[in-house]
Amino acid sequence: MSLLSIRNLNIRFRTGDDYVHAVNDVSFDIAKGQKLAVVGESGSGKSQIAMAIMGLLAPNAEASGEVLYEGQNLLALSQSQLNRIRARDISIIFQDPMSSLNPYMRIERQLGEVVVQHEGLSRRDARKRALEVMEAVQIPDARNRLTAYPHEFSGGMRQRIVIAMALICKPKLILADEPTTALDVTVQAQIMTLLDDIQRDLNTAVMLITHDLGVVAGFCEDTLVLYGGRVMEEAPTLDLFDGPGHPYTRGLLRAVPNISDATATLAAIPGSPPNQTRPPVACPFAPRCVDVRDACLEALPDLTGSRQKRACIRPVEELT
Amino acid sequence: MLNYTLRRLLTVVPTLLVLIVFSFYLMRLAPGGPFTSERPLPPAVMANVLERYGLDEPLHVQLFTYIKNIVLHFDFGPSFSQKDRDVNDVIAQGFPVTLTYGFWSAVFVLACGIPLGIIAALRHNSFWDYSMTGLAIFSQIFPNFVLAPIMVLLFTLSWGLLPGGGWNGGQWEYIIMPAVALGTSYMAGVARLTRGSFLEVMSSPFIRTARAKGLPERTIIIRHALKPALLPTLTYMGPVFVYMITGSVFIDVFFSTGGIGQDFIDGAYSRDYSMLLGLTILYSLLTFTLNLLLDLAYAWIDPKVRSKL
Repeated sequence: MSLLSIRNLNIRFRTGDDYVHAVNDVSFDIAKGQKLAVVGESGSGKSQIAMAIMGLLAPNAEASGEVLYEGQNLLALSQSQLNRIRARDISIIFQDPMSSLNPYMRIERQLGEVVVQHEGLSRRDARKRALEVMEAVQIPDARNRLTAYPHEFSGGMRQRIVIAMALICKPKLILADEPTTALDVTVQAQIMTLLDDIQRDLNTAVMLITHDLGVVAGFCEDTLVLYGGRVMEEAPTLDLFDGPGHPYTRGLLRAVPNISDATATLAAIPGSPPNQTRPPVACPFAPRCVDVRDACLEALPDLTGSRQKRACIRPVEELT
Repeated sequence: MLNYTLRRLLTVVPTLLVLIVFSFYLMRLAPGGPFTSERPLPPAVMANVLERYGLDEPLHVQLFTYIKNIVLHFDFGPSFSQKDRDVNDVIAQGFPVTLTYGFWSAVFVLACGIPLGIIAALRHNSFWDYSMTGLAIFSQIFPNFVLAPIMVLLFTLSWGLLPGGGWNGGQWEYIIMPAVALGTSYMAGVARLTRGSFLEVMSSPFIRTARAKGLPERTIIIRHALKPALLPTLTYMGPVFVYMITGSVFIDVFFSTGGIGQDFIDGAYSRDYSMLLGLTILYSLLTFTLNLLLDLAYAWIDPKVRSKL
């Protein structure tokens, strides 16, 4: 049985009299210890899936479907029931380390309160655990920096602290919501290596949310591509990179800049993201697709295939 | 921190000096004097009186004597209008009164304003929120010179619950109405400010982090949200404390508390130079002290500020 199983998840947001349909009929599984990348552009609904898993959706959001964690539907749980799962079983790393730490609290307290809450440790034992995770995420001079405040750390160090916070209870699943987006490239690489090491040590499942295909390539064995809140393609990462099966994935991969060809203009997918005020009735990517046919505009394509699943009515061979 | 406090304290001296010089000359620019009246005194008597109070000397000599007396003897001079009393006496008698109900007024402002604001924020867009906001706007537009007579009308004249004035050594029945009348509009301000900043803090990313940790809502509010949510309130309270003490002039007069506000008014009417100057110095010292305390409180709450001191 998979660790996390998302079944027909729909998330919509009420804005005045309208709804924004952010996530539409998304289903996927994460197995124990699996590393799954969820890729998509801004507004594709990838972060909202993570928020739905954590029960942290905005008050104007409505979620339907099922988010089954070890067979238990998280969407049906109360806040206090969710509080027993948050951080202990499933934790999350947020995008911006500058704002996701409390600027008015010492690091040791922010780390320690997690284990005090979930494992009932004393303050002293919690401090010991905080030190352990600080060392695990390779913060130099961790012992003396326990009493520091967030602003006394650099961006990369702060993200290490956020990661430490996410793994302090040794959760079974870590949701990493664009963990490196706010960091510069060299620090990005360090953070991804760190995440990789930790994942291997704890055998934690990771759902990595990103729009950076470069990050995905080195880290996740499986990749899920989202567009307009729908799954376009889901496949082992290597297969996906070798033979992308969906026109959108192809466009994305073509848009990855090539460092050896500095003169080339950057490739882009023409058009703009879909209007999501109505639930999709046809392929959401069709208006921007180079391989579009009339049939694409008439019905929703199913996600089909076994190893490499794709939601496109056209055979792979016909795609440009 | 200590270093910073000392540095700040050192700046009091030049600031006060400038303040004294300016106020001194400004007062003298105004026509009239403490001994002008409709029926002028005979010239000989006038000369006598002026000499007795040292008003016959050139202005800069008077100023110098004034400052010298403060520095050497901590003597703010005799009152020109209240016979046989000097400014030190007046302050010693009236200031504790003003300070006492000013303090309780501040307690009232914070003890009611902050919880009201938090409740409104937690029950965002509900009946409680709207009634609190409505009440706050209502009491914010009521100046204390409107509120005070209404309170006396209700609590003293109609229901006979509280005395309508006086001080009586500062018994609580005598403190309540001055303190509430003085504080109500500020209390409303604090409630609205707290509501706003609390809402903002509760939607900030680090609160989302705290939620993701699985902490109960109460812990999140008390441990994570309260401090940052109170920072704007703190900023607001600094000047408010000062307004409350200095703005209590009306309250002193209306409730006949015997606070220094009354003396300030009388001093202004009768050109009681030394009284006015003495009270001005007192008010500015108070402003200074409160601002310093406020900055220290800021540093206590915000580690970023602390590291810069």
